[in-house]
Amino acid sequence: MTETASSVAPPSRLRALTGNNEIVLIVILAVLCVLISIGAPQFYSVENVVAILRQCALVLIVASGMTMLLIAAEVDLSVGASLAFSGVVAMDVTNKTNSVLLGGLAGIAFGASVGLFNGLVVTRLRVNSLIATIATMMILQGGIYLYTREAVQNRHSIRLFTDLSTGYVGPVPVPVIIAALVFIACYVVLRHTMVGRYIYAVGANEKAARLSGLRSERLKLGVFVFTGMLVGLAGLLLASLMNTGQPTAGRGFELQVIAAVILGGTSLMGGRGTLIGTLLAVLVLKVIDNGIIILRWNQDLQMIVPGLVIIGATWLDLVRRKSDAR
Amino acid sequence: MPQSPDLALAPRPAPSILATLARRNEVALLICLLALIIFFSLASSSFLTPRNLTNVLGQASLAMVAGVGVAIVVMSGEIDVSIGSLAGAVGIPLVTIMNMTESLPLGIAGALLLALVVGVVNGYLVAYLGINSLIATLGTMFIIRGGIYLYTGQRSIPDTAYLEEFFQLGNGRFFDFLPYPALISLIILAIFIYVMRMRPFGRQIYAVGGNPEVARLAGFDVRRVKFICLVISALLAGVAGILLSSRLGSAVHVAGLGFEFQVVAAVVLGGVSLAGGVGSLVGVALGVLILSFLSNGLGMLNLATEWQLVVTGGIIIAAVAFDEFKRRNQKQ
Amino acid sequence: MFRIPVTLLAATATIAVMSATAVQAQEIPERIGYVVNYATHEWYQNVIKGMTDRANELGIELEVRDANQDAARQVSAAEDFMSQGVDVLIITPVNEDGVVPLLRRAAQDDIPVVLEGNPVRGMTTMVAICDYDTGYHAGVAAGEYARDNFDGQARVMNVGLPLLSATVLRSEGFMDGLRTILPEAEMVHDLDGGGNPDRALEVSSAALAQNSDINIIYGINDNSAQGGLQAWKASGRSQDGLLVVGTGGEGLGFINLMATEPAYQIEAAMFPEKVGYTTIDAAVSLFNGEEVPEHIVSPTATMIGDEWQQYYSVEGTTRSINWENVNAVPAADACMKTAADL
Repeated sequence: MTETASSVAPPSRLRALTGNNEIVLIVILAVLCVLISIGAPQFYSVENVVAILRQCALVLIVASGMTMLLIAAEVDLSVGASLAFSGVVAMDVTNKTNSVLLGGLAGIAFGASVGLFNGLVVTRLRVNSLIATIATMMILQGGIYLYTREAVQNRHSIRLFTDLSTGYVGPVPVPVIIAALVFIACYVVLRHTMVGRYIYAVGANEKAARLSGLRSERLKLGVFVFTGMLVGLAGLLLASLMNTGQPTAGRGFELQVIAAVILGGTSLMGGRGTLIGTLLAVLVLKVIDNGIIILRWNQDLQMIVPGLVIIGATWLDLVRRKSDAR
Repeated sequence: MPQSPDLALAPRPAPSILATLARRNEVALLICLLALIIFFSLASSSFLTPRNLTNVLGQASLAMVAGVGVAIVVMSGEIDVSIGSLAGAVGIPLVTIMNMTESLPLGIAGALLLALVVGVVNGYLVAYLGINSLIATLGTMFIIRGGIYLYTGQRSIPDTAYLEEFFQLGNGRFFDFLPYPALISLIILAIFIYVMRMRPFGRQIYAVGGNPEVARLAGFDVRRVKFICLVISALLAGVAGILLSSRLGSAVHVAGLGFEFQVVAAVVLGGVSLAGGVGSLVGVALGVLILSFLSNGLGMLNLATEWQLVVTGGIIIAAVAFDEFKRRNQKQ
Repeated sequence: MFRIPVTLLAATATIAVMSATAVQAQEIPERIGYVVNYATHEWYQNVIKGMTDRANELGIELEVRDANQDAARQVSAAEDFMSQGVDVLIITPVNEDGVVPLLRRAAQDDIPVVLEGNPVRGMTTMVAICDYDTGYHAGVAAGEYARDNFDGQARVMNVGLPLLSATVLRSEGFMDGLRTILPEAEMVHDLDGGGNPDRALEVSSAALAQNSDINIIYGINDNSAQGGLQAWKASGRSQDGLLVVGTGGEGLGFINLMATEPAYQIEAAMFPEKVGYTTIDAAVSLFNGEEVPEHIVSPTATMIGDEWQQYYSVEGTTRSINWENVNAVPAADACMKTAADL
């Protein structure tokens, strides 16, 4: 449990970089990029890099929240269903009010209220978060069709709405900037604030944290709501990218996000994990996904290769840690 | 019963059945199940018929068989989410071998062999390499499903041998009454209830899941126990996959998609703690039946899918919350 | 202007007669059970709508159960219907091989079964569109468009779905149709877009980065076409010199796209309402023990530009079908190619 201790007391920058399985991921990422670009030089084209980053942005925004949740020893499987639903809400409200601000806020508020519901069920009713959020996923999958039978079309044609996902600031796509801001904010909170330390403490040992006066339930509730907000934000971006609110979107998104977070070295038992790891893992998974198409390989490999990488990276990390311990 | 140190580790040594029953969460689940049955009987005239009730037992059998395996893994402190992909995958050797040899036993042997291999891989990754079981089995889940698609070219493999036994296995009824899958699932359930309650191995599973450190000090081979649990889980997922394949009359490449969610939901609903060491197979069976009756009954009421999803989700939360509430009250 | 191959015309009469006059002398079943593949999808929503309309006209009680894309759940739902004793069972298979035992069990219970969508070994009858033909005619239309507007260049990105034989047939048909006009037409990308808009967008983005030298995007459904188009737009390209062809005409989505996106010019419409309508008629015929063809074809049409207005009118967020014009669309008596030919 040395990781737990070192995470609670922020270590030096260098230790932070090497203290987890980030090295393994950096190596994997580098090897992947080199191999793919040998097979297909287009991999490094501006267009492809932008395409990869844009896809990473959606996952990273949600994965940042999910990392915090997992560190706090909880999980949220409803993010895929909530992503689609908040996108539908954002588009619908924008249609009705002709205001991207109100639409965006509505989407984010919807995501946050899903997070609040999850958080209340987990902290007040004490339902295990895995099962609670599977149930929420079902409720949302049903609820979205009660809300709308069809995809919600863009009826407002406001330029700003589409720019949220396809616009640029200088050479950088807007969603990448949004994801970067979210990521940095989460990073600062987790690494440099009391709240961040409390999240690690609650995840590592909830009883001990509670005995030392931490209001663990309120903290967890907060993290659920925060993750929900991020899902709402991602839903808004997805609606903008699709130019519709799609009730069928987001299928399997929760597994993508969770796969990235655990590949990034965050422990499912709570108390251990870093956002840098999550960032690298998102990149690794999206580069694989993209690379298989760029290389014109069979797309069925888009399931097999990530599976192998998840197992392989975890194993390499274990080996590395064992040799470190010696 | 020999007095060994491990007895102290077993959470419930089962002294008087009645006394334990009253304390257990199975009672809450049973009440929940009965309430559902009463409600649906009143709401739909076609619900409370022998044919429908035995139908539901047949429909529940897949989750029942796989649920027993997953429950044992969860009790040992691990999890297995590769069962859905595996249940879909075993149909491939089953149907291919049957088509070639016209022999159901050979097909089943091939299917179980594949399940065994997956179980050994899962068990080795988790118990001996020490990879977190959610990560390992999530990985194998993707690999197996991708493998199915790659191997079949995303086509199903039809049964061209037309063996009567194969059809009867999943679609026939024992004495024209109980569907064979239901019979098979009840036998498997009974065997494992016996193992978990009466055999040392059952106690070892609880001990390993409850506190691996203590279990090791008590002389249990923690790795071996977890390894065997994951192998059992894979084999039972294989059995579920064989029954599924018979009900579908083919090896369907999309079979078993999302099955792991259903099974994990039923297992947790049945009162098995994801932290390990706690739970009973009777509870798991009740959890499976609640979800199956819910699905059947809501269909009978002609409720649209969207409402079915909402109601099922709500009932899962309510049932688990009620169970937790009861548990906390007992502790105080 | 959409083209109607001569072969299709001959078949029109039979279908029209079957749906219009045959019903009067028939006994009407009391209850029909429909096990749908995926009820929340727009396509099936509209199939159910057409079924309900027709069932109401005839005074039939129609019950619908959803397999929600789960082959095992489909078996359970059909089992429930059989134990309830419905008069006719309609099934849209999640997987065509996966319902073979069901047909046998229904036969044991003397319940006639109508398949919708995909052929199954041992079936009596199936109501379905011709997926290959639908793609083929859209391909011909796309070829003419490319000949007139793109100097005969046709480089295609297929946003496909290998998971289902029906969608594979559409893509094949599209390329074959396209090549009748432009033999040099090439499929530059053959993608698995999962049939979902977000996944389609993701894989299309990568494919466009790999090789963006395309001028036609073909989507096996409306969501896939939209995903491909959105990927094109997201990469900052202009829609000049691009043609998008969608398939399905499932709901409002394609109407909106055709109205707002300059490149989205061709839709292979499959009239889900008509499929549902015809299926109920087939169920009634089967209930009466009549001879029915093994494959009852439900018509499709290639719509170019604003031709959709002939068949649908839109008010707010609902679309209404113009039955008169849709019922006048001819259907083939056999498909050029089916799943059995794959």
